[in-house]
Amino acid sequence: MTRKQKRLSVIFGALAFLGAATSLTFYALGQKASYFYLPNELQAANLQPGQRIRLGGLIEKGTIVRGQGTDVAFGVTNAGSSVKVFYTGILPDLFREEQGVITEGSFEPDGTFKADSVLAKHDENYMPRELADSLKDKGVWQETTQ
Amino acid sequence: MVETGHFALVLALTLALVQSVVPLYGARVGDTRLMQIGGTAAVTGFALTLLSFAALTVAYAQSDFSVANVWENSHSAKPMLFKITGVWGNHEGSMLLWVLILNFFGALVAAFGANLPPTLRANVLAVQGWIGTAFLLFILATSNPFLRLSPAPFEGQDLNPILQDIGLAIHPPLLYLGYVGFSISFSFAVAALIEGRIDAAWARWVRPWTLAAWIFLTGGIAMGSYWAYYELGWGGFWFWDPVENASFMPWLAGTALLHSAIVMEKRSALKIWTLLLAIMTFSLSLLGTFLVRSGVLTSVHAFATDPSRGIFILCILIVFIGGSLALFAFRASSLTQGGIFQPISREGALVLNNLFLTTATATVLIGTLYPLLVEAISGDKISVGAPFFNLTFGAVMLPLLLVVPFGPLLAWKRGDAFAAAQRLMTAAGAALFAMICTMIIVDGETVLAAVGIGLAVWLIIGALTDLALKAGLGSVDANVLWRRLRGLPRSVFGTTLAHLGLGVTTLGLVGALSFQTEAILVMKPKQVVEVAGNTIRFEGLRPFRGPNFTEDQGIFTLLNEAAAPAAEIVSAKRFYPVRQMPTTEAGIKTLWFSQLYISLGDETGDGAAVVRIWYKPMVTLIWLGAVVMMAGGTASLMDRRLRVGAPARRKPGKTAAAT
Amino acid sequence: MLFWIIAALLTFGASLAILLPLARKAETETGSHDMEVYRDQLAEVDRDVARKLIAQEEAEQARAEIGRRIILIDAEQRKAKSAPVSRPTRWLGALAVLAVPLISWGVYGSIGSPSVPSQPLAARLAEEPRDNSVEELVGRAEAHLASNPDDARGWEVLAPIYMRIGRFGDAVTAYRNTIRLAGATAAREAGLGEAIANAGGGLVSADAQAAFERALLIEKDFPKARYYLAMALAQEGKHSEAVEAWQQMRQLMPADSPWQTAAQEAIAATQQREVSAVQNAAPGPSQVDVEAAENLSGADRSAMIEQMVASLDQKLRSDAADPDGWMRLIRSYMVLGKPDEARDALKRSLAALGVDSEGGRKVAAFASTLNLVATE
Repeated sequence: MTRKQKRLSVIFGALAFLGAATSLTFYALGQKASYFYLPNELQAANLQPGQRIRLGGLIEKGTIVRGQGTDVAFGVTNAGSSVKVFYTGILPDLFREEQGVITEGSFEPDGTFKADSVLAKHDENYMPRELADSLKDKGVWQETTQ
Repeated sequence: MVETGHFALVLALTLALVQSVVPLYGARVGDTRLMQIGGTAAVTGFALTLLSFAALTVAYAQSDFSVANVWENSHSAKPMLFKITGVWGNHEGSMLLWVLILNFFGALVAAFGANLPPTLRANVLAVQGWIGTAFLLFILATSNPFLRLSPAPFEGQDLNPILQDIGLAIHPPLLYLGYVGFSISFSFAVAALIEGRIDAAWARWVRPWTLAAWIFLTGGIAMGSYWAYYELGWGGFWFWDPVENASFMPWLAGTALLHSAIVMEKRSALKIWTLLLAIMTFSLSLLGTFLVRSGVLTSVHAFATDPSRGIFILCILIVFIGGSLALFAFRASSLTQGGIFQPISREGALVLNNLFLTTATATVLIGTLYPLLVEAISGDKISVGAPFFNLTFGAVMLPLLLVVPFGPLLAWKRGDAFAAAQRLMTAAGAALFAMICTMIIVDGETVLAAVGIGLAVWLIIGALTDLALKAGLGSVDANVLWRRLRGLPRSVFGTTLAHLGLGVTTLGLVGALSFQTEAILVMKPKQVVEVAGNTIRFEGLRPFRGPNFTEDQGIFTLLNEAAAPAAEIVSAKRFYPVRQMPTTEAGIKTLWFSQLYISLGDETGDGAAVVRIWYKPMVTLIWLGAVVMMAGGTASLMDRRLRVGAPARRKPGKTAAAT
Repeated sequence: MLFWIIAALLTFGASLAILLPLARKAETETGSHDMEVYRDQLAEVDRDVARKLIAQEEAEQARAEIGRRIILIDAEQRKAKSAPVSRPTRWLGALAVLAVPLISWGVYGSIGSPSVPSQPLAARLAEEPRDNSVEELVGRAEAHLASNPDDARGWEVLAPIYMRIGRFGDAVTAYRNTIRLAGATAAREAGLGEAIANAGGGLVSADAQAAFERALLIEKDFPKARYYLAMALAQEGKHSEAVEAWQQMRQLMPADSPWQTAAQEAIAATQQREVSAVQNAAPGPSQVDVEAAENLSGADRSAMIEQMVASLDQKLRSDAADPDGWMRLIRSYMVLGKPDEARDALKRSLAALGVDSEGGRKVAAFASTLNLVATE
């Protein structure tokens, strides 16, 4: 190989690598990014069972039901819509009725939402931003000032 | 005292302004007096910022609630340690710490930079002055920690309990030392672009700063990860959270910079690329600061946020990144090219390293910013989480880990890959052996985990092989070997330790992720459970009162083979009344490199509680590996080579960055 | 004053830092930095060869390369020449020195609060007590109690202060601690009850009542407890019983007791509430009437009220198609303590409006909220 050919092959290799990395990144973004929904948006969203989403809202009052062991079910609500969520595991410290919550998981074929992670707001003034925005838009949640 | 601190901060701003303009002009016209003003202004500015920071610390220590910032974030009942760490446990104070560290580094350049060419020193200090001015303005305009309350309240509102932790007390200063340390590399790069030439010693001057920043950043990230691991009670150590990514991206880019700076120093090659990397690394640090401070991204680590601050930092970001890249585009062509090399060579390996690391940085950057982009374009809210990062980052990093041991074994300019491969036969054998052992001991199913273990062993043995070969293992007797080992440059040890640490961390990650055992159950008092061969008895709940919290402690006893108590593990749910906020205090028992991790859930009545127990094999290696990497960085920092470059006044002792 | 001196000193120091380098003589740069580096690189190559880290052949190549670079810098140095010191230099220096005091004092003047002194908590607590505000006294006491949580006297002193400054929740805790540590007395129990009631916005809850009753067990006629228990009756709507309880209490008290006035005011207020309840119920009484009612004696007041109700009753007999009027009338009779007449009014309204009519249903539903059922 001449020097020029060598250099070309190196440049070509680097470009091929970058191309592969780029396509992998965008493939992964399409596959692995999960969309965020509020309960009242689910109707229009028309989700397939098994599709991963993040579901946010307020924990509906009086709906937290503890089952066997660490099973728990609760309603996530906003603007009059409500979705029942099933979860197994330890709930976050700040999981309380009428507090903001974000759950991540997917719908079962029977229409129930099975969450594999539950995030509550992390301190008393913090609300996940996408949740706060959506709730504020709909007038459900007011920003509290200290 | 408080107002003295406030005044000192304003004075520091004026000095930063002078520092940004005067030495720059001095360097242009070649006036040494004007250039020297940069040095005195930097040192004085640092002293003033230190005074200011001390004043705020005193206000915290004395619970001076006439300072709004103290009132918002402290409480008289808080232990003294957390009163003091509370100084940077909030936005305003942490930005003051940021500037303090920035000015500290600036002062170090001024004080120990006597061996730098005067114009370079003047330009570097001027660029530091720009950064200092921008951030001091930011503090005084949007986040002033010295605002007063009159009449003063009598009790404060307490620090967010989750931040009242020794791990988080050390984490931000380390992280900032890292972030801000990269500002020096940035300033050197911009100064070189302003001058339009790169001195031969440029890489030698930049490398210690980059190394020091990298060491601190490594420590800061590891500390933050360990904090999240034990304080958040989820047992996870990395969440690919935007704030974590914000610190990880400069680390990846900084690691690339460290490696490309070696090529530049030894072979005067990759000059332009190294400059670009230095700019990118600090830009990513700024971006990280912006992401954390503005609250544009959802994060579990969020401080209270304020849009006006976000816009201010965004402006700083645009001016610095945009400005430096424009300067780069304008001036890069005037820089001279360096030595040439073959693709298969030490340089080639380092270029490969850079290619992989920058690509990895890019994937993290895209994953972090993509939600912002999508929301801006379509209004959809999406989240990019661990599945994305594991796939893309993992795919890029795996091949890099495979080739790491080759790098140090290749010769400069033209290497022999085949010879290197032959020398690595031992490492390959050890890796294969580890893989087979894993498959036999655990089971045949865990192929991926076995490959991971093999990779870790490959890295560790590969790193040691390099050291052994350089010492002459196999060709000389033990005495000579020892003497030669001691005579090796420190940087050789640095390389070995850093690569070894990488292997150790990999081993910890594979162990904790693939082999952890988890049990979630409701435990009644005296109930016994076995998790991965460890017998644990739940003794019951007991209330406990701390200085500013109350907690329900779950007492667990680890039983040995004779069913006798071997250790007590206390896991608690803590409640901070001032903020009306509960936190989880996980109970952790370290068994060699593995850990038992017990997290307490809700009480279910009659003394029973939901309990989550993990056995995480080799988990501590994740952070121990980081410590080994830091040791490697320190060893490399102490290499005598980095102390060279002074024509006349040579400072005795270590380099400035080692302090 | 001290602050201004420090500020002036700091400014002076900062200006000096700019001034000093300017006072020095201008130096010209000597020597090449690059040369030193290359020399060290050559030495390093030699060391590496000695350590057998690189081969002899590689070392030769490296030396040749470094040599080429040294030749390059020689060429560069010949090109470089020193620049002359120009006039703007001096101007810039002067400007920089001046900028320090001007900008710093200007900025600080607009954002600083030089008149506010530092106020460390310990120093504030150690000040002369008489100079302190109540809040500071409380803070001092709290600091003391935080370290000595079993000081019953401390809690006892603090509890009424909390009441006075409106921190009722803390007062409850303080009274509880006092009782826990020093035992119950009528005054402590009654204080606890009062604190609970105030913490609940003035409502004498079951908890508070229990505390007052405990106080009465210890001291039969403890006025505060009796007063608040009567208040509880009034809050339950048993106005006449409440008034009676207060009147009994007044008879027990000496004439100069402050509880005399308190009870008297409470009685007046309860009767006033009765008036306003009726006022809401009856259509008629204007503000003037109500003010007039306030000036009337008890008997006259009742007469006036009864007269207003009677006129409403009369009006509804002639114009029965007014469900709202009927509801007012029914409520008025209930407030006046005449359930029979209320029931009668309900029956008449249903007859007039029709049981199944919309108005009839409304009135019946309203009546049922008063526990009133139309009996045939």
